[in-house]
Amino acid sequence: MTGASRSVSIHGSNRTAASRRAAGARDRALFANFFHRELTTRYLGSATGLAWALLHPLALLAVYHFVFTTVFRTGGSDGRSFLLFVAVALWPWLAVQEALVRATVSLGGYSGLIRKVAFPHEIVIYASIGATLALQFAGYLGVLAALAAFGEPVRFEGLLLAVPLWFVLAIAVAGLSLMLAALQVFIRDVEHVLVPLLMITMYLTPILYPLSLVPAAMRPWVAANPFSWLVARLRDALLEGNLAARPGDAVALAVAIALFFGGRWVFRRLSPHFEDFL
Amino acid sequence: MTGSLLKLDRVGKDYAKVDARGGRLRLVWDLLAGRSAARVFRALDGVSLELKRGESLGIIGENGAGKSTLLKIIAGVIEPTRGTLSVDGRVGALLELGSGFHPDYTGLANIELAAALLGLSAREIAAKRDEIIAFADIGEHIHDPIKHYSSGMIVRLGFAVATALAPDVLITDEVLAVGDESFQKKCVAWLERYLGDGGTLLLCSHGMYHVQKLCRDALWLRQGRTERYGPAAEVTQAYLAFHEEKAAQAKRPIAETTAIAAGVYAIQSLEFEPGDSMADGGLLRISGDVFSPDGRTPNVLIGIVRADGTPIYGVATDMDGVSPSGIAEHRFAFVLTLPRVGLLPGKYLVRAHALDPEGVRLFDCVERSFVVTGTTREMGFVRLPHRWGSG
Repeated sequence: MTGASRSVSIHGSNRTAASRRAAGARDRALFANFFHRELTTRYLGSATGLAWALLHPLALLAVYHFVFTTVFRTGGSDGRSFLLFVAVALWPWLAVQEALVRATVSLGGYSGLIRKVAFPHEIVIYASIGATLALQFAGYLGVLAALAAFGEPVRFEGLLLAVPLWFVLAIAVAGLSLMLAALQVFIRDVEHVLVPLLMITMYLTPILYPLSLVPAAMRPWVAANPFSWLVARLRDALLEGNLAARPGDAVALAVAIALFFGGRWVFRRLSPHFEDFL
Repeated sequence: MTGSLLKLDRVGKDYAKVDARGGRLRLVWDLLAGRSAARVFRALDGVSLELKRGESLGIIGENGAGKSTLLKIIAGVIEPTRGTLSVDGRVGALLELGSGFHPDYTGLANIELAAALLGLSAREIAAKRDEIIAFADIGEHIHDPIKHYSSGMIVRLGFAVATALAPDVLITDEVLAVGDESFQKKCVAWLERYLGDGGTLLLCSHGMYHVQKLCRDALWLRQGRTERYGPAAEVTQAYLAFHEEKAAQAKRPIAETTAIAAGVYAIQSLEFEPGDSMADGGLLRISGDVFSPDGRTPNVLIGIVRADGTPIYGVATDMDGVSPSGIAEHRFAFVLTLPRVGLLPGKYLVRAHALDPEGVRLFDCVERSFVVTGTTREMGFVRLPHRWGSG
């Protein structure tokens, strides 16, 4: 079933303004439907789904706290509370990780629709990462509130910066997800390579340790990781209450936007052929 | 308005052919670079058609002829590789009814999804909801997840959704082949009313009856190309005639020249003794000769089937450790004698197949019917050796 009037030619398509508006309204309705589907079937469908989504990062946080403060006794968190130091960065990272992994395989769940109905396939990706990030952001707020209740020095005014930072993150994740999901349709190994790659990236990012502990010679390499910058900025905001903008912020936004358009370009090149390979 | 709702001009579609894993990497690279795939399969080529408001067109052809590809292009699911397509209006496609449904969703939630896909607002769909539920007529099941539905119920809901949205062009793919008879009648009645009200229909079907009944014109696709395009009665008759001829051809021995050209083992003749009619319990001798392209001795498989194709008995020369005897350089004769045929009166077919000397590959099938006559009241189709009483 397809929507409004359509004129397709291989020399380019011509759409009227009215039909573009109608298509926009349809895409929003579809996004809402898919977003709701993702939330309900993924988390709310099973009794333990939602609990597990929030319990997993909490359990990891507890384990890291135990390993690094009780076993290794590094305590190397620039003199701040290790628990809060890690929580502020670990949660967004796990959100990114889950969003990427789920989005990469998301098109498979919509193969029936993609093979039979005309609609922009990108919406599937947006709904997938939208659902993951929305839920994980809610979990992030919950954990910050819980830590504050236990006496951790959370600077809540830092959310004024943390929220835009999550948006920058979402833009970058969208770009990466579009690319990975499109490639996954053709090359089934993407999904299997992604998980170990994310694990490696996590340890190369100053999530469990401060950048200051990295040997000076290697520091520029670790800092060059875009996620390192994001982690530092989240800590500035939520640990220090420092809301001042930095020139790097504009670079980060530019990188995220470039990732988005790059990923979307790959997706749009490949999506006409999904029907044949899903 | 010119009245032309749908116009295809020399539309073609290629599918990429990839087998190895490396081929897929290569394909992704080619697609990203804006090139077409290195190896392609032409699913559709040079198809032109025009559909004006109020017209109806049937699309016919064998499996794999490109019907589904054509419908997908018209529905906008895939883009044509070549040619141009213009659609002016809302296309409602019934491609494999219910395939767009989500199995975990209830019938109602799937109605919402279908509406969102069609770009209907919440208010529009609310107005249509009762109409859809009434047409689908699946009662309280509308509140159950689709995965608990029977295939008939899914089809009912699918048809109800697609038709309630008043599309300018309705595409249906084998819709009338599913569902029970009363629902089929309801669908046909709905389609007739839709056409009577000036609706435009594109019907894809194997049922010539439906095409003749519902469509003014028909397009016969064969191997991705237009074989014939014109008035429905004419095209469907040509299509049926083609199939009858093809079926008849398959049963006749292929000419020796063809066998030589193709390099295949082929049965050249098939004879019965006493003839095409025999008394039950009598003797039947099946003989013939077989062509061998390389001069090696082929094997022959003889099967007896009922007129409806049910196999009764089959035996090949290599199973019994015998071979056809050479009568010329490339010709071998075979004779199979059944001394007391245990078949009960009725019509039967003998099928003779040529096999390679290894007895592995089966090359052709020559078929000939014979009648067993008799007055026995025994039932079934073979007489088993038997006796009554103890011991």
